Amino acid sequence: MMLVLVGGFAAHRYLSRHDAPSRDFTELELAGADDDQTGSCYSLGTVLIANRTNDGGARTWTKSDDGAWTLLVDDVVQSYGGPVRVYQKFTFAKFGEQVRLVSVDGSKGANMTIKYNVDELLGSPNSLRSTPVDRCLQPGATGYHFVPRR
Amino acid sequence: MRLLILTITLLALFGSLGGCSRRLHEKDVLEFVDQADNAARKRFAPDICALRGKDFTLHVTFHGYRQNLAPTNVEMDRKLFCKEAGKFSRLYQYLLERKAVEVNLAEDRRSARVTSSYVETLPYYEPDMMPRTPDDFLEFQVVETRDESVIGFEGGSLKFLSTDSESHQTLVPKTSVRIPYL
Repeated sequence: MMLVLVGGFAAHRYLSRHDAPSRDFTELELAGADDDQTGSCYSLGTVLIANRTNDGGARTWTKSDDGAWTLLVDDVVQSYGGPVRVYQKFTFAKFGEQVRLVSVDGSKGANMTIKYNVDELLGSPNSLRSTPVDRCLQPGATGYHFVPRR
Repeated sequence: MRLLILTITLLALFGSLGGCSRRLHEKDVLEFVDQADNAARKRFAPDICALRGKDFTLHVTFHGYRQNLAPTNVEMDRKLFCKEAGKFSRLYQYLLERKAVEVNLAEDRRSARVTSSYVETLPYYEPDMMPRTPDDFLEFQVVETRDESVIGFEGGSLKFLSTDSESHQTLVPKTSVRIPYL
């Protein structure tokens, strides 16, 4: 009986371990959308929290074979014709000490360019003055669209 | 080792006996539908969600009150459905009336197809308006829905496995309906 329980627990742990990226991944600095991929000063986790991606809609992470993580933010909104599903899919990949937004997908009509979406994602932590990554806590630190605290 | 084999054999035996006794009766299905309707009336998402299977899907075809607009179609998995159920709690006035229910048991009596008709009355908030209070609306929406659901056992209890729903919406003046605040 103990063997069944322990085996079942181990199988559950194994199958559920890839439900979301690890902290090592979400604590990486999100790269900006410029040619140099300048760091934004905000970790991926901070950006997602500032954008309240866990509010309202359903959030699902999936991992691809190359190690990239895709976040699906799914919601239903009311239109004049009735309920409509709206979704956004962001794929993030690790590059050195950064994480980059490498592809965007979404409902019909959504802007799916990388630059637009990186700028949109960074709008919230910048306006909320979220806590930046360590390197940007130093005076004179710079980052893509980053406004240092006074 | 012998003890382990005995344990597994007994577990398998009890499991299959338990499975054999799981035969659906119309009364069970009707009680389950009553339970689901009461959970919806309470608008408490965990109770609503608990009655849906892990692979539950809902397909909605919604005919809005504006007849010049095409009906919308929404497909939801359990996760999205449960999130939507959470939004339900924002309603202070909600009336759910079941008009009809028909149960068709599968031959093996392990599942059933339930066809039911409902009328829901709830506040209508304009899609592009942010209500300042729950009472900030001018009309009630009356939504007539025909649901076709498959119900079956999962983890030892009855669950909705899928629902296909078609709804027609009309609007009525707020003053023409009296729904108590809940």
